[in-house]
Amino acid sequence: MYANLIDALPNVLGWANVLSVVVGVVAGICVGALPGLSATMAISVLIPFTFGLDPLVALGMMAGIYNGAMYGGAIPAVLLRIPGTPAAVATSFDGYPMAQSGRGGFALQVAVVSSAIGGIASAIVLMLLAPPLSKVTLLFGPAEIFWVAVFGLSSIVFLLGGDPIKGLISAAFGVTVSVVGSDTITGYERLTFGYLELLDGINIVVLLVGLYALPPAIDLLENPDFDTAKDKFNLGTGSIWKALPSMFGFWKTWLRSSVIGVLIGILPGAGGSMAAFLSYNEARRASKTPETWGKGEPEGVAAAETANNADTASAMIPALTLGVPGTSVAAVMLGGLLIHGLQPGPMLFRDNPDLVFGFMWQFLFGAILLIFLGGSFATNSFAQVLRLPRPMLGAIIIALVFIGVYSINGRMFDVYLMLGFGLIGYFMDKLKFPLPPVVLGLILGSFAEENLRLALRIGRNDWSTLWQNSTSQIIIAITAAVIVGPMIMRVIRSKKPDNSFEK
Amino acid sequence: MKFKTIVTSAFLVAAFASNAHAEYPEKKIEIIVGYSAGGGTDVMARTVAPFLERYLGNGATVVVKNMPGASGQIGVTEVANAEPDGYTLGTFNLPGMMARTLDRKADYSADSFTYLANVVDDPNVIVTAKDSKLDTMDKLMAAAKEDPGAITVGMSSLGGDDHFFLMRLQSNSGAEFTIAPFKGSAPARTAVMGGHVAMGIFNLSEVLGFREELNILGVATEERSNLADDIPTFSEQGINVVNGSMRGFVAPLDLPEDVRSALLDAFQKAYDDPEFSKAMLASGNPVKLTLGDDFKALNQEQYNFAKSVWETTPWK
Repeated sequence: MYANLIDALPNVLGWANVLSVVVGVVAGICVGALPGLSATMAISVLIPFTFGLDPLVALGMMAGIYNGAMYGGAIPAVLLRIPGTPAAVATSFDGYPMAQSGRGGFALQVAVVSSAIGGIASAIVLMLLAPPLSKVTLLFGPAEIFWVAVFGLSSIVFLLGGDPIKGLISAAFGVTVSVVGSDTITGYERLTFGYLELLDGINIVVLLVGLYALPPAIDLLENPDFDTAKDKFNLGTGSIWKALPSMFGFWKTWLRSSVIGVLIGILPGAGGSMAAFLSYNEARRASKTPETWGKGEPEGVAAAETANNADTASAMIPALTLGVPGTSVAAVMLGGLLIHGLQPGPMLFRDNPDLVFGFMWQFLFGAILLIFLGGSFATNSFAQVLRLPRPMLGAIIIALVFIGVYSINGRMFDVYLMLGFGLIGYFMDKLKFPLPPVVLGLILGSFAEENLRLALRIGRNDWSTLWQNSTSQIIIAITAAVIVGPMIMRVIRSKKPDNSFEK
Repeated sequence: MKFKTIVTSAFLVAAFASNAHAEYPEKKIEIIVGYSAGGGTDVMARTVAPFLERYLGNGATVVVKNMPGASGQIGVTEVANAEPDGYTLGTFNLPGMMARTLDRKADYSADSFTYLANVVDDPNVIVTAKDSKLDTMDKLMAAAKEDPGAITVGMSSLGGDDHFFLMRLQSNSGAEFTIAPFKGSAPARTAVMGGHVAMGIFNLSEVLGFREELNILGVATEERSNLADDIPTFSEQGINVVNGSMRGFVAPLDLPEDVRSALLDAFQKAYDDPEFSKAMLASGNPVKLTLGDDFKALNQEQYNFAKSVWETTPWK
């Protein structure tokens, strides 16, 4: 197997194949950076065009786009508080406050370095451990996946913001949106109001763009003369190599977030946003100064960005070996493979080693290229966008999101839906309802519900099937430790002075 | 009576239109696919397109247009409502397209189309994990009869070919199974391999790449499949069930006769081209051609079965 890996290398280094990765990364950064356009969309638009191309050229472009977009999403998340992709929501938590205090340039440098590190770690795992890790995927049936979703949902607690009631209402809204569509297990239509367009559920990009991109764009139009402080635009990005030494302190976060990203990647159906949320929470929990988080802590950007790139290549592990994509981007990439007659499964590795291992190399190169292509030049160019007059910037964003949302399925229905969410988002913003719980609720709500019901059906409605096997028990234990642990610590800490007082 | 009117009007339209379409095709032909780019049906359409171009001649151009949504329903409705001029064709999946007219409000029916060619027939198979004790049909059926409902079946969504296969199996054998519908075949296959469900129902092309991980207990064809002639059919094992997933092409109703025959002719020639089967198989589409009226009859047969299932045991 490792011989195959080496054998595939010369082919990948052919100029057309290298160029395709470079083009892919640049395109990916742009697509990710433009609100409303996502990697999933870019790759599905690309697929029909790759029909006549050499497979490695097509695959290289896709690998490049995936890596590029996962970083690109951070650019508007930091500069405008508009996550460019669903996975960049957690990046905006600390990235935007950093930009507001004039450290936006540094935030983007942290983001690009962390993205590259996450991507490299993920690609190496894909290259070296794909077959053994596919066995890990097999351990996760509906019951186990349900517990993973519960673990993810438990992190909503940390996203509720100042007012828990409002946070919970937000989360409930997200969960409600997630159940829209035809229910897999019974076939019933839920909350579709007779619209065929709603039967497949609501695409996360439609919701995300409505909630996150429209309200800030409206704000740009509402306050055209708002004089933003000059230093906010002065990103001050020097060479990335000079900034690098100041990031070495993040090595623990890089390591932890890479592991989380890789693990979430190999689980079917979870995906980049969950990886970023979880890794952000874990990094904050481990931090010595949790109070600075959410107010411009560079480590928060590092955690989110490492994780959302660390699940890229690892999401291809179950996709290539089992045909089950770990993320929605990996799902469309499978389509890109199929169009070249490459069917996932163990046979793929035997019949087309040059392509499969070449594709892995391309993931690695894509991640490394991020530092060069996404470094100071790209961030500086995008920062120039902020110099545009505010109404123009707002108008451009609105035009982009219309195009992006329309192109998902090629229909106006989604655009109207997005406008509806935009209205909701506008009022949520004014009434200070937090947005992150909506996103997490949407991602995990029906995901948890579907797997719970499937598990119960398989267990013939015996609830004990949920905790009978050891994989489930381990995940339950981790979840309990994370939720109950801090409470117990608090009780112990508060009891100690009490005891001494009684004496 | 109604059939007669349709036939007469079809003839009238055909006679009227035959002059206008003297040199079909004279502009680009669009194939509407009701699924996203890169899906099984999409890849089939894109594989077929160049062969259609070649055998239609006249410098024909065939492009694929994706209109995803509502498990193909949005795209197929678009085809039903399109102009019957031969420049809008669509992909058509069985039994799904007919089942949707039963379990949902649909703006099309079996009578909305001119049936051109069914090109893919992917038979159902039953699989168990390699380390499962249920490694023959006899053992599986014995276990299912011993404790009705104890055998859990992983499959893709309800109202599809996997589901109808199971219904046929149950009525044929009297055994009872518990259905676990996953979101698509790949997650279901993974659940079988991981031992989370006892068996799985898939299509042959979906499991051929996993023969070292799965036991394939039987295939639902009349004769053994030439893709894997070591797998016994179910009828060889005393269970008379033939079922599968079918993919083909339709046009709107009342397609002019000369256009129809040009298309049928092109499909026949494509099918006879050995390159075609090879290209289709590489994309996971085992070919079997059913042309024109035979395709229409096949569709009717599928509809009748779906209807009988729906009336006795509705799946929602």
